[in-house]
Amino acid sequence: MRRESLETALFRAGYLVVFAFMLLPLAVVVVTSFGASGQIAFPPAEFSLTWYESFFDQTDWLRAFDNSLLVGLGTAVVATILGVTAAFGQEIDDGLVGRLLAPLVLLPMLIPPVIFGVTLLVYFTEFDLQGSYVSLILAHTLWATPLVYFVMRSVFRRFDWQQLDAAHDLGAGPVRSFVHVVLPNVKHGIFVGALLAFIVSLQEFVMALFLSNHTTETIPVVAWNQLRNSLSPMVSVVSTFLILISLGAILLAAAATNLNWLSKQLS
Amino acid sequence: MSGNSNATASGAIERLWKPLVARSRSKRALLLMAPLVIFELLIFVAPFLILLRISVSEAGERGTAYAEGTWSADAYANVLTSEVPREVIVHSFTIGLIATAIAVAVGLLYAYAIWRADGFTKSLLLFSVVLPLLTTLVVKTYAFRPLLSPTGTLNSLLESVGLLSTPLEIVPGLAGAIVGQVYIVLPYAVLAIYSVLATMDWQLVEAARDLGASRPRSVLEVVVPQAMPGIIVATVISFAWSVGSYAAPFLLGDDVTFAMRVEGQILRDFQWPTATALSVVMIAAMLVVISALVAVLSRFGGEVEYA
Repeated sequence: MRRESLETALFRAGYLVVFAFMLLPLAVVVVTSFGASGQIAFPPAEFSLTWYESFFDQTDWLRAFDNSLLVGLGTAVVATILGVTAAFGQEIDDGLVGRLLAPLVLLPMLIPPVIFGVTLLVYFTEFDLQGSYVSLILAHTLWATPLVYFVMRSVFRRFDWQQLDAAHDLGAGPVRSFVHVVLPNVKHGIFVGALLAFIVSLQEFVMALFLSNHTTETIPVVAWNQLRNSLSPMVSVVSTFLILISLGAILLAAAATNLNWLSKQLS
Repeated sequence: MSGNSNATASGAIERLWKPLVARSRSKRALLLMAPLVIFELLIFVAPFLILLRISVSEAGERGTAYAEGTWSADAYANVLTSEVPREVIVHSFTIGLIATAIAVAVGLLYAYAIWRADGFTKSLLLFSVVLPLLTTLVVKTYAFRPLLSPTGTLNSLLESVGLLSTPLEIVPGLAGAIVGQVYIVLPYAVLAIYSVLATMDWQLVEAARDLGASRPRSVLEVVVPQAMPGIIVATVISFAWSVGSYAAPFLLGDDVTFAMRVEGQILRDFQWPTATALSVVMIAAMLVVISALVAVLSRFGGEVEYA
């Protein structure tokens, strides 16, 4: 019995340490954003809102916010359309193309982002697209689509396909039966997929580093370029905003489905 | 002339399309999958063919990235024989293997904890994984600098307790880069293992314990083999991302990884053939190591072994 309780205590201590490890860096970011001095220290010697005030005067950060929003929304739209249609098609008919699709969609996720950045930079330069929003959206779509695709495959698998057959039997065309029968059942899944695609794009920075130029830089790229020079609390302020956006997205997604299901989709 | 090539192109498409339709039950399904397939071909496959082509070109004259239309294996010879690229590759693989081992071991423990927890604790533990997963790499890595640097929180804490007289050099250094990299891949490792554990029957473990297995033994002999598909996915993801890591070694490490070198060669030195050849060699080496890891791990998986 004593050995059992020792094991339990060790196990508990183990996962509590990991729990702290997972959240500590995020806490550091949030806390240091309230620092008063120009140096990042944890915990800060003095607290203030100075850096939040000066954030709203900085045009390069505000422009980066707009860029991130634009690229994120673009990625969400393109990745959702590609992922939903492909998952739907595969559900109707899991033929040769369907079986090749899953590995083809997954493979980009295993290639180091730096190699992607290089490859796509070379590629988009051929079409004079380097630095454009289009190039950023397409690159991010490559990473976001697998998520939407696998979320939607899992959603479609739970859908009762006899309902669609029934709609067809009652004379509804393909578009009408999709809108009235399938869509209401999977709209939560589509929403979560789009949200994840948006977040992936918002947070991605290695490909954006290669593909953006001075006017299309996204937030993580600007943050990175500042970090290269010095560690200013301004980066913490921006990072706090990014963490808050992710937090909001998780709460929204968890409300639309549930956290347990969502977590399983992310792997 | 162009009309002629158009005709051959559409002829080729038709030759490709017909057997596809013949092998599938529904043309509509193919049409629905077509956008994604075309997207992957245009934005993933085609760029990689160009990357391969550049890697076998001659180095460019002054000011150009590479010499178009030339063929040469110099870049590969350079990558495979000279000292610096080899050191860079070894360093990247060191980070990759150590970070993967830690991430998978810790990930297994944490996934097991999530699986066994319920109610609010379970949600909290899941949340602690999902939030870092959806936070940008930049944010995740730089936070370790004020924590682990020689003048940082950890060192001043240990010094004030009297455990240390000289500060630990964690950041910048190999240890710092690995801590940062583990933090980046751990959420993925946890969730990959958890999603497999979640489908597993707890009664199997209880049965093993009723039959007299100690708790560590029941985990090693019942849980681990069952979770092996998840462990394999966790290993592949952690390894692939850690070998190609860029942000963590840059901000927290003290040595050049292959990703940092490729970045420099492309954006600053304009040596595209060498950079692309290095990328191709790295992908090939990664594939070899990943297949070896999968082969070794799947020997332990699937069936429960009774020793």
